[in-house]
Amino acid sequence: MATNLNIEQPSSSAAVPLLNRRMAMALLGLMVLVGGLAGIIRLFAGLGRTTALIDAYPWGIWIGFDFTLIAFAGAGFTMAGLVHVLHQHKYHDAVRPAILAGLAGYVAVLLLLVLDLGRPDRFYHFIFFWNIHSPLFEISWCVLLYTTVLLLEVSPFLLERINRPVSEKLLRVSHGIMPVVAVVGVTLSSLHQSTLGTLYLNMPHRLHALWYSPALPVLFFVSSIMAGLCLATLAYGGASYVLRRPAKRAIVDGLLRLAGWLALIYLALKLGDLLVSGELALIWSAGAYSAWWWLEMSLGLILPLALLFIPALRRRPWTPVVAPLLLLFGVMMNRFNATMFGQILQPEVSYSPHLLEWLSTIGIIGAAVMAWLLGVRFLAIFEQKKAAHE
Amino acid sequence: MTAQPTLSRRDFLKTAGVGAAAVTATCVLGSQASPALASGPASENGWAMLIDTTRCTGCQSCALACKEVKSRPNPTVEPTALSSEAYTFIDLRPQADSEATINVKRQCMHCQHPACVSACTVGALRKTADGPVTYDDKKCIGCRYCQYACPFGVPTYDWNNPLGLIHKCDLCVQRLAEGERPACVASCPAGALHFGRRTDMIAQARARIRSNQRRYVDKVYGEHEAGGTSMLYLSGVPFSQLGLPELGEQTISHQAEAVMAKTPLVAASVATLATGLYWLLKRRDLKLNEAQVTLPQEDSHGH
Ligand code: SF4
Ligand code: SF4
Ligand code: SF4
Repeated sequence: MATNLNIEQPSSSAAVPLLNRRMAMALLGLMVLVGGLAGIIRLFAGLGRTTALIDAYPWGIWIGFDFTLIAFAGAGFTMAGLVHVLHQHKYHDAVRPAILAGLAGYVAVLLLLVLDLGRPDRFYHFIFFWNIHSPLFEISWCVLLYTTVLLLEVSPFLLERINRPVSEKLLRVSHGIMPVVAVVGVTLSSLHQSTLGTLYLNMPHRLHALWYSPALPVLFFVSSIMAGLCLATLAYGGASYVLRRPAKRAIVDGLLRLAGWLALIYLALKLGDLLVSGELALIWSAGAYSAWWWLEMSLGLILPLALLFIPALRRRPWTPVVAPLLLLFGVMMNRFNATMFGQILQPEVSYSPHLLEWLSTIGIIGAAVMAWLLGVRFLAIFEQKKAAHE
Repeated sequence: MTAQPTLSRRDFLKTAGVGAAAVTATCVLGSQASPALASGPASENGWAMLIDTTRCTGCQSCALACKEVKSRPNPTVEPTALSSEAYTFIDLRPQADSEATINVKRQCMHCQHPACVSACTVGALRKTADGPVTYDDKKCIGCRYCQYACPFGVPTYDWNNPLGLIHKCDLCVQRLAEGERPACVASCPAGALHFGRRTDMIAQARARIRSNQRRYVDKVYGEHEAGGTSMLYLSGVPFSQLGLPELGEQTISHQAEAVMAKTPLVAASVATLATGLYWLLKRRDLKLNEAQVTLPQEDSHGH
């Protein structure tokens, strides 16, 4: 019982961490400010002057981070699915930090997408003009609807903080519809996480065979669950740290075990896919492409698998942080390889991101982290009710 | 405690209701998936252009005529690449054993099953029954996915415009409507560009190859490439030396379209599975709870 004590009020002895927290917030605030400015400059000056993008290289780091963030933000649907649909209640405490991270992630995704659009003023056009063959059309709809789902899922965190009769009523409604919302969220996420892979099926002439595969939708879906579990672990640990509650060992271990199994399945799928298509030799023979592939696979999949499955390594105190970080790095590399490094280009074509691309990306990601931290601090991120009736 | 089972049933009905709604919605969506847009049968008899690279002198008349009719900036500057300023250009390809270049007019190929049309987020690009692949600049959001889907590197973006759009050749669809040939064809003084129905252009190309076997290699580029294109090429050297990509007969987007067609099925399956598991596992939990209630001593559940 002792581990469940509610240490909500910052104690007086916490002066030093509080200062650090202020500094972290100030740094994030600066990132957001500079990034916001960069974003505004981009919107008014156009893509040509503020990015290094050209016709032969039309998508850069914005799209790379966008698709990475969508996979990471899979934490929301993964945890909602695990606890609210599959009733794995032992992970209960890890749901809210993950869903909040999901919402912050998707909002960042939307901001990045708007920056990247050639006509940001028309971002809503997909609502009126349909092309059901287009993966991007489906993704747009799912992201819109799923962000709504996330807002519904986050609303109780706020309502529980407001002591008004209205919020009580709203809470009861939200409690009642939560299972439905979770099922819808899982469905929408399954669709667009896999469709992000389908998106690349329209580029058989452009994407290198180390990544191009008819199995891309499955690979993207599985890796998004894996990434979701990893981010959920870190979000739970992070939220516990911020609120100075001990993170429960059983939750962290359980999530990491699940992530490990997902990673194993993902590795088998990736290798099996190359084996079946007879392209396994490319991992040695494709020059720079092979190197990118190995960076993705070794640091981002094989090493963390070793950390998670070799008992001596698994017991190290830093493993619960390093292993999910490495797996997330692997998923990021995969999305960047598909979008940038795995693209087959004419030899004279190159792209090195413009400073404004970096600044705006960092600013938007900083804003997401900041929003998440503030949410953890001020919303009901660990449910109160349970403690009350125990 | 006694109220809980009914609650679960209500939950189930609600969840099942949404599951059913999702299935219905996706099926409605699926039924609208008329293949007319992208994968439908393109008319074999749409407009087509036959480009005889052995006759092109590289005089640039077509490229400048195109700039003029499309009101592009710098109308007198000869383009060296496709861009938002030039919807066509002559690719002057040096040859190993000769001073002369091989001149290849490049522009949108007006594919029979265009990947750009299949990919376009908002359906701004369309394959018309008459052949041209057209672009609606009122719809386009500038996502630039079409640039990735096109195997010929055709769509270009207007990078210097803060509200830039996609630009590409539209086969002079406006002139066609007025009964005229495309501006580039009309301007060609060398007889390198021919315009007509696709079947006629293929027949004419074959006839040329037959009657002059030393002049031409025995292939019409575009007849089958990526499912066929409306732009057809004749060449005196292997097509690999012309800078035209080597493509199979499959359409570029066939795999993506096959997966996208399964969207309603995937949505329905996931929604049904999730609802089913929710209900089953919830029932199991309730049973476990009841068992615990009847055994008040049971205390192993504490943290
Ligand atoms: S050549 Fe490219 S832009 Fe033109 S129709 Fe084909 S896919 Fe579309
Ligand atoms: S850039 Fe415009 S035309 Fe191209 S795919 Fe996007 S919306 Fe369609
Ligand atoms: S058909 Fe018209 S738009 Fe296309 S290249 Fe010729 S002149 Fe230009």
